[in-house]
Amino acid sequence: MARRMVSLLARSALLFLLSVVLVFGFWEHRNFYQIGFTNLLLLGGLVTFLVILGFRLALSGDLPRRKPKGELAFTLNEGERLLRGVAELTVRPAEGSELPLVGQWVWAKYENGGAFGRLLIVDGTRKILADVTDEEAREAGYESAADLRDAGRIRWKWTPRDLVTVLKVQAAGGKA
Amino acid sequence: MIAYSLAVGAGIVVEAWLLALVILRGRRPWLQATFAALALTLVVNGAAFIGTSEGFLGPQWESAVLWTLVLAYPLTAILVLSLIHGETVPRRRPAVFLLLALAPLVVVLTPSADWAVQHAYDFNFLGGFLIVCLGVALAEAAYERLTSPLFAVDAFWLAFGVVTLIIGGPIYSLEFQDLGLLQSAGSNVAAPAALALFALVLFHADPFPGRIPGRGPKGAGVGLLDARQTVVFDEARPKYALHTARAASQAGSPVLVLARTGGVSYSADLGVGIVSLMPSRHGAARALGTVAEFFARSPGGFAVLPDLDDVALMSGWPQTEEAVLRLRGVCRDTGSRLIVSTAGLTSREKDLLRGHRLEWWTLPDPSEEMEVVLAQSFGPGARQLLESFSRSRGARRQDLALEHFEPFLQFLERALAELGGPAADATANEGLRSQASTAASALRAFVARTPKDLAQGTWPSRGASGTDRGILVTAADYWKGKEMDELFSVASDLGERESIFEQTRHVFVEQFGEAGEGVLRSELSKLGKAPGDLQREDVAHLADRAAVDLEAMAEVVDVPQEKLRIRQQVESIRRRLEAIAGDES
Repeated sequence: MARRMVSLLARSALLFLLSVVLVFGFWEHRNFYQIGFTNLLLLGGLVTFLVILGFRLALSGDLPRRKPKGELAFTLNEGERLLRGVAELTVRPAEGSELPLVGQWVWAKYENGGAFGRLLIVDGTRKILADVTDEEAREAGYESAADLRDAGRIRWKWTPRDLVTVLKVQAAGGKA
Repeated sequence: MIAYSLAVGAGIVVEAWLLALVILRGRRPWLQATFAALALTLVVNGAAFIGTSEGFLGPQWESAVLWTLVLAYPLTAILVLSLIHGETVPRRRPAVFLLLALAPLVVVLTPSADWAVQHAYDFNFLGGFLIVCLGVALAEAAYERLTSPLFAVDAFWLAFGVVTLIIGGPIYSLEFQDLGLLQSAGSNVAAPAALALFALVLFHADPFPGRIPGRGPKGAGVGLLDARQTVVFDEARPKYALHTARAASQAGSPVLVLARTGGVSYSADLGVGIVSLMPSRHGAARALGTVAEFFARSPGGFAVLPDLDDVALMSGWPQTEEAVLRLRGVCRDTGSRLIVSTAGLTSREKDLLRGHRLEWWTLPDPSEEMEVVLAQSFGPGARQLLESFSRSRGARRQDLALEHFEPFLQFLERALAELGGPAADATANEGLRSQASTAASALRAFVARTPKDLAQGTWPSRGASGTDRGILVTAADYWKGKEMDELFSVASDLGERESIFEQTRHVFVEQFGEAGEGVLRSELSKLGKAPGDLQREDVAHLADRAAVDLEAMAEVVDVPQEKLRIRQQVESIRRRLEAIAGDES
């Protein structure tokens, strides 16, 4: 609670400083802003709004690149492996699914809906399931490629000829 | 005035730093040249402005301010268009160079009274010229922002850069003039910010690291693909795309393969340089930049994109699709050839790509065709033969490509030779040899067919119908299986014996259990070797490397007994690998 208060106070102080800078700027450029009251109200209002919005984004730390977009659902076992750092790959169906792009942050969720963290998609490739190697399967938390194929057959009705996406992910904390 | 001059001076330092960064780190000469031209002009402009304002330089230097100002704006337009259209700007947007050509004309036509720095941003012919230049850059950036998925984000930064130049130049100048504070016309305090944004966009489309081949002999590789042709190879694995790359390289043509290295597809030695796709959010723009740079350096060359799916995973499909279409344009402009493989694309992506009416060649998988051809001679045992051969190469059956056909036939020859010992049934052996010879002819005939020929015709797996298979009498049927089984058994033993990879794998698995194979593959990738390419002479390097890496692993273990055990394992692996390496003699 105290930490939140300190954070709120710090942010408010910074916003106040920004407001002072803006007012100072208007004072300095007062002659230039003789463009008519309505014009100044609209244009000045828009510029001020954009500056404050940008400042707020920067302060919140939620700059567009870091904000998770979309989600990936995992079984309890998969989620556990990711959190423990045992797995760093996840294998997904390629056909008919919208998957995040490399460099994107997503929410990691359990299949029952609860989010357990954020994931950065570090890398990705597509493969025919039969081409997924034992090493990749192990990095995805399975014992072997055969084990992965078995799991995929049950969960996604995969056949060895199906196309799959192999995503390399990096887990980070943070609840949704 | 001093404060403003200091700001412009600081800007010069930033501009010079950006110039050095782009020259040293950039890899696209055309973009580097246009960037350097603009940056140098702005540096000279800033220096001359400070000099004349602060009295270091005489009033005659005002013309230098004016000239650099007149040059900077058309150069901005050229740079912005170059950042969007790359090396094809002179062909795609030649009109933009008219702006540069107009600069001397502006001097001639403008009344001398207006040709003073303080009138640079006034409503005169000169002011109009500058507005047109920035307007062209802004309009192109805005158009791309609205229409191009690939350049939408970068076009925003470009437009932002141009707007920054407008605010830092004409608008600030008018404001200062209005306030009666100082005379800033002729300078642009926002120039470093705009240059930084342009540099950002330039690096977003920088080629992937790797050697981009230079110019080759004219007319090389003509028979494989027509000049200016972009062809989509529709295949499950990019085997024909890579085979064509190798054939083009052997024909003397410059070849660029932009691919994800280390994958199973590249186990066979390509014989051409591969530029590696690296994970990047700007993957599509960088792929476009890499291939466009190659086409600019080697007009008429071959570029092969076997891993378009990976590009789609980096940047998204609409961006990837646009990159391919833009490359088709570059390919046409430079008389080059482009092969795009659909391996790894989803059916929806394929449909979307097909909608652009690109030349589309549907091709078979050579490993499947190999099996079908062999099955005509050896029945169901064909698969067993291929498995044995694959094992000898440290590969999997599905990885077999056209390059493996000839080594397979040699492998079959050796198996037949081992089978044909003194006690063997001469008649049966002769029959087997005859069947093998028939299979070899069929395989060689298949290999000899070009992708175009295959795409327009049929191939063994398409031709072999179930009815035909029913009435086909194979060698296996004819010889009642006995000799055939012996052949398969000999081939299997041979596969085990001949595989260097298998021998080394046994060593690692023996010491580390199942994880040993992973360790071996990781060491192989560090050596840049695919399992199938492993030779005896490589095993010595592998032994040294593995010993160093595994020793490092032992170092981090705190328990003395465990440390000792790992060291013993490392020593054992090293000795056995050296023994394998020494088998050559």
